[in-house]
Amino acid sequence: MVKLDEATDTKTQEDLKEAINAAFIIDKPWVTIVWDDPVNLMSYVTYVLMELFSFTREKAHELMMQVHTQGKAVVSTGSREEMERDVSRLHEYGLWATLQRADHEL
Amino acid sequence: MNKKSDSENPGFTRHGKNDYVANFSPSESEVLINLVQQIIELLGERTDNHSEDPLAAMVGITSHDSPPDDEVLLRLLPNAYSEQVDAAEFRRYTESTLRAKKSAHAISMHADLMDSPDGCIDIDHQGANAWLGAMNDIRLALGVRLKVQSNSYEELEILAPDDPMRGVYAVYSWLGWLQESLIQALMDDAL
Repeated sequence: MVKLDEATDTKTQEDLKEAINAAFIIDKPWVTIVWDDPVNLMSYVTYVLMELFSFTREKAHELMMQVHTQGKAVVSTGSREEMERDVSRLHEYGLWATLQRADHEL
Repeated sequence: MNKKSDSENPGFTRHGKNDYVANFSPSESEVLINLVQQIIELLGERTDNHSEDPLAAMVGITSHDSPPDDEVLLRLLPNAYSEQVDAAEFRRYTESTLRAKKSAHAISMHADLMDSPDGCIDIDHQGANAWLGAMNDIRLALGVRLKVQSNSYEELEILAPDDPMRGVYAVYSWLGWLQESLIQALMDDAL
């Protein structure tokens, strides 16, 4: 039987902590971004975000306003596969969306 | 589609819990049918495909991975990644599914119009979402051709009175108004 406290000193404890943290966040390093578009109606963007992500009207409106005023907004975070699915659903309804690594410059 | 009918026609209104109704004049129905037919045609398989592998096509993999040359198609089927290699790979596996889903919206809207020679459209929530998706694709296509830059009427102002694009712009604006009426009807539902 391996005893954890005997096998690790302070330095490796720190490393272990980091590795454990990394193991848990590794599944969520991707983001879906919706970009501003001159054609899509503001109400339509809000409605699609409510339909596809089950956001409240307030939350969807807030994200839509962020897209409108700042040019883009992160609408979901997760694994690469999940974000690819979200982008596909947004494209189906004509929103301009891309996915990328969360740590990349937006 | 003159101003008078616009102000009198409320567009889509909600009738009951899951029922959305609009009444179109024969000329309005004709315009909608014409537009939605064009989108269905546009979303058909790309003609720049070379030697499509039938087995790959069967499971939704297309032999092409380059973005469409046409500006309208590129807006309807945009890149999912800014990075070209990832974008091409993703397109290869998903573009035909996206085409099929968009086509399904347009075909549903087309069927509703063809089934209603009196111009009375009566759809449920699912049908409404198909209409919204299809109307939005039509507006995206027209918006690209009209080079729409902002959600304003400024574009119309700069077109010459005899510019044939004025008519296209009128249709584009009318569709925006119609789409808005359906969204408002649906949002009431969501409250």
